[in-house]
Amino acid sequence: MTTTASTVAARTAAADPVGDPSFGWRRRIAYVVLIGYALLMFVPFAWSVLTSFKTLPDSVSGSILPSPWTGEGWQFALTKLNPPIPTMLFNSALIAGVVTVTNLVLGSLAGYAFARLHFPGREALFVIVLATLMMPDQLRLVPVYLMLHAVGLTAGVGQYVGVMLISAVVGTSIFLIRQYFLTIPRELEEAARIDGAGFVTTFAKVMLPLAGPALAAVAILTFQGTWNAFFWPLILLQDPGHYTLPIGLLFFRFAGGMQNDWPPLMATVVMATVPILVLYVFFQRYFVAGIAATGIKG
Amino acid sequence: MRRQGLAAVAIIAIVAGACSNTSSGATSSVPSVSAPTSTASPSATGSNSAGASAGASGGASGAADYSGITGSVTISGWQSSPAEGQALAATLKAFSSAYPNIKVNYAPVAGDYPTVMATKFASGDVPDLFYVNADTADTWITQGFLFPLDGYISKYHFDTSQFYPGYASIFKGADGKTYGLPKDGNTIAMAYNSSLVQAAPTTLDQLVTVAQSLKGKNGLKAPICANPGLDRGLAFIYAQGGALLSPDNKTSAIDSAASQSAVQWYLDLFKNGLAMTASDLGDSWCGDSLGKQHVAIIFEGGWLDASMKATYPNVKYTWAQFPTGSSGSPVTISYTAAYSIGADSKNKDQAWVALQYLTGQQGMTEWTKGGVALPSRKDVPAPPGTEVLVNSSAFAKPGSGFMPGYNDVQKAFQDAFTAQIQKKTYDASAVVAATKAAIDKALNGG
Amino acid sequence: MAAPAGARRPPGARRRRVSSEPRATKREWLAGYLFVIVPMLLYLVLNIGSMVYAVYISLWRWNLRTGPVRFLGLDNYANVITDPVFQKAVANSLYYTIVWVPLTMAIGLFLAIIVNQKIRGQTFFRAAYYFPAIASSAAITTLWLFIFAPDGIFNQVRGVIGVNPLFALFGIAPNQNWIGNEGTAMNTVIALNAWTTSGTFMLFYLASLQSIPSEIYEAAAIDGAGAWDTFRRITFPLLKPGHFFVATVAVIGALQLFDQALIGGGVNGDPNNALMTIVLYLYNTAITELNFAKASAVGIILFIVIMTATLIQRRLFGQAPAW
Repeated sequence: MTTTASTVAARTAAADPVGDPSFGWRRRIAYVVLIGYALLMFVPFAWSVLTSFKTLPDSVSGSILPSPWTGEGWQFALTKLNPPIPTMLFNSALIAGVVTVTNLVLGSLAGYAFARLHFPGREALFVIVLATLMMPDQLRLVPVYLMLHAVGLTAGVGQYVGVMLISAVVGTSIFLIRQYFLTIPRELEEAARIDGAGFVTTFAKVMLPLAGPALAAVAILTFQGTWNAFFWPLILLQDPGHYTLPIGLLFFRFAGGMQNDWPPLMATVVMATVPILVLYVFFQRYFVAGIAATGIKG
Repeated sequence: MRRQGLAAVAIIAIVAGACSNTSSGATSSVPSVSAPTSTASPSATGSNSAGASAGASGGASGAADYSGITGSVTISGWQSSPAEGQALAATLKAFSSAYPNIKVNYAPVAGDYPTVMATKFASGDVPDLFYVNADTADTWITQGFLFPLDGYISKYHFDTSQFYPGYASIFKGADGKTYGLPKDGNTIAMAYNSSLVQAAPTTLDQLVTVAQSLKGKNGLKAPICANPGLDRGLAFIYAQGGALLSPDNKTSAIDSAASQSAVQWYLDLFKNGLAMTASDLGDSWCGDSLGKQHVAIIFEGGWLDASMKATYPNVKYTWAQFPTGSSGSPVTISYTAAYSIGADSKNKDQAWVALQYLTGQQGMTEWTKGGVALPSRKDVPAPPGTEVLVNSSAFAKPGSGFMPGYNDVQKAFQDAFTAQIQKKTYDASAVVAATKAAIDKALNGG
Repeated sequence: MAAPAGARRPPGARRRRVSSEPRATKREWLAGYLFVIVPMLLYLVLNIGSMVYAVYISLWRWNLRTGPVRFLGLDNYANVITDPVFQKAVANSLYYTIVWVPLTMAIGLFLAIIVNQKIRGQTFFRAAYYFPAIASSAAITTLWLFIFAPDGIFNQVRGVIGVNPLFALFGIAPNQNWIGNEGTAMNTVIALNAWTTSGTFMLFYLASLQSIPSEIYEAAAIDGAGAWDTFRRITFPLLKPGHFFVATVAVIGALQLFDQALIGGGVNGDPNNALMTIVLYLYNTAITELNFAKASAVGIILFIVIMTATLIQRRLFGQAPAW
């Protein structure tokens, strides 16, 4: 069985028909365009990095390179904040980590059920999943706060729990995983079912291993979303000791909020971006030859 | 895409948070006093000042005896800069030395203050003492979120006559009761680039003359940066003898001849190329326009100083009183914020003790010494360099919070005014008609 | 499955339509309920509970602190619907959705197909094209305002390359204030968001693309299908569950446009309501006016609009139970 190899061949063939005389030339142009567009994408990040090494007057002067280069922005960001950056990093990582895991676990279970299992009311429940995405947070602000307040989740460690509960399993996660499971050929699990496997075993042993790309997407989006989340943390994390990084970014306003202190702001932004980038580069490997890699022919 | 939308724009939301506090974002700068006037970079704040005066403050603040009141008080507010946090910490330290029986718990609110406070009002779990911005005062009073102070004021003979009337009047309810005392204030004055403008215009006629002489010179995009809204326009309307409301505050006065011609005069600044909006200048607010030397004259408040000092240290500018218009007397508009006690506070007595200190002569002197705020009391000296702004408090009229539904009125004016500029029709009557409709609606209870 | 005639389907997909599904059993019911119970309980409390609360208070004049003041019936709804600013907000939100969703989906799909190829530097391209989605929004927005400022790079470039006569046909001045002008503000926001969100949509499509069995490409290659034919007749139709997901999530998000509108135009959706959206209107009603009852009416109306759009999409993308 040489599925993987032939896949590569087939895909390459499908995308780049061999024998086209203009092929090499076209490919070169394509690369130039692709690289040009890619570089364009880095501009905002590069701007953030460069700005973090500028003085404040320099940061609004329109210059490209810092003049002079200074580490003051970084120093301010790293030493002057209350709570200090490590505390906020810890809070962000804790909340984003827990929420990512709960979304993966709960999202894949529910996604599988909605895609494959038959039970009364399934369609209605799935519409509810979609409906959860349709209510703006500004609207549920008060009722959610009242509920969390009533059960003591707006004080102490409960503040973390409140934020985690709100994002514990986002409708998007269930929806994305469900759509992915829908495309997996039914024969795979039917074979397992004939072998006598229960629903849990079928899910865990057969379906979950096939869901790599969907799980990777959910992991990236959830982590990033929670890491950057602003609305609920701001409402629910009232003690400075519980602040996450996005709240910390508020410290870099001054002049009565009329202006940003760009260099330390951008230093913190760079610090906040790097973990997401690392996570993304790690997980994007799972976006490869999903079903084909399992070596199953339909 | 809502979750990811929210997520991916998390940092945007910061700007958003900033926007809803200081009001609009990129296209105009409506400084509400949630922008209370930072004038010092963090390092420049006088954090040692607390100890110096603490000893003296014990009995000096008047005859009232608060020694029987003990316990704790939670104080909340927005924090528009690290410097503000330091200044308040120093003030609260001085309070603690003067009133050792009362423990202060300072819990600043990060981000969107009105949103966070809404959840607290709903749950009944409010801070005992908190900031109330002028532009939310009317709503918060009407909805019963704030505790009337009249009982305390009379019981302890607290002297409110020292507050500038333009500030104190904002926090009176329709029932005539006092729901907050101004913690500081700010006025709108003229800031001009002193290397380009030799002599400050003192009248609006002179302003036009100076602007004409500057037009097209020195690389300026325009002589003046001006806001297309009432948050500055109102000062010009007052200066020219116009008004939004009749003297009894019962009917609209924006359609009077004086108001009409004032709006037309303001529009003509744009028509004749003497003024541009910050947005059309490509700047986030007029302070940026002055700093980038896109213009030579702007109309701002004390918050400008911190920004210029930190961001454009090489641009020399000077403050001057708001020019006098055809009304003949000096006038400008002011912004303020108060300390109020929550209706659901469980420590109202303790909160009052803190309130009377923080808004009293001694506490406010301490607070304004921190370099981030200007006094709202006549008996507190102006911090050095802010005399023009503070002295204007004597004749300033409120720039927000003086009528119910003012946000809608501002919006109506600004939408119509902007449309006139963009369509290049510069017709005041359209602006007046839209504003009048909004005022009538607001006066009839929205 | 409304795939065009002649489209190749994965073998599994073909068989799915045949009702060879095992008969639902009690055990399957139980498994189904157990698998969804935790999310459903959370939604019951945090979402449905909030919804019920919102519906209830929308019928009252409501004080945030003390609760009901006076029963109003549907007055709040009538007030909202007849407010010209709200009507403008609805029009803006619909316009944004209709333009932004297809545009961003197209860019996202295009990028996903590119980075799904076996190309050199695949990881680099994948990271690069996702970057707008993770780079600081503060940085992006600031740059964007800088680029589209009256004397910004965009206006300078089009001046230099001499395309201004073309822009003049559309009434666009050489020093156009893109975000501050009533006519162009919304389109500028669309451009920004299409750019930043296309990375996220690429990610969705990239995940979806993995589920297409490679045999299909092999078969296509043997049939001698070209790249465009392969895309048009195989990839695109087979991505249908992916399209449905992206389109649904995109429309739901688009109708709730808030942050960028706020940044571009402040709380009032300046200039002249050009950037007023439904959620911005809701925010103003709730927070500025502190009228949560009327805001709830706005929220319920918005919910109905989004739900309708989603159900229509479900129809468009195939029969409801499958997708």
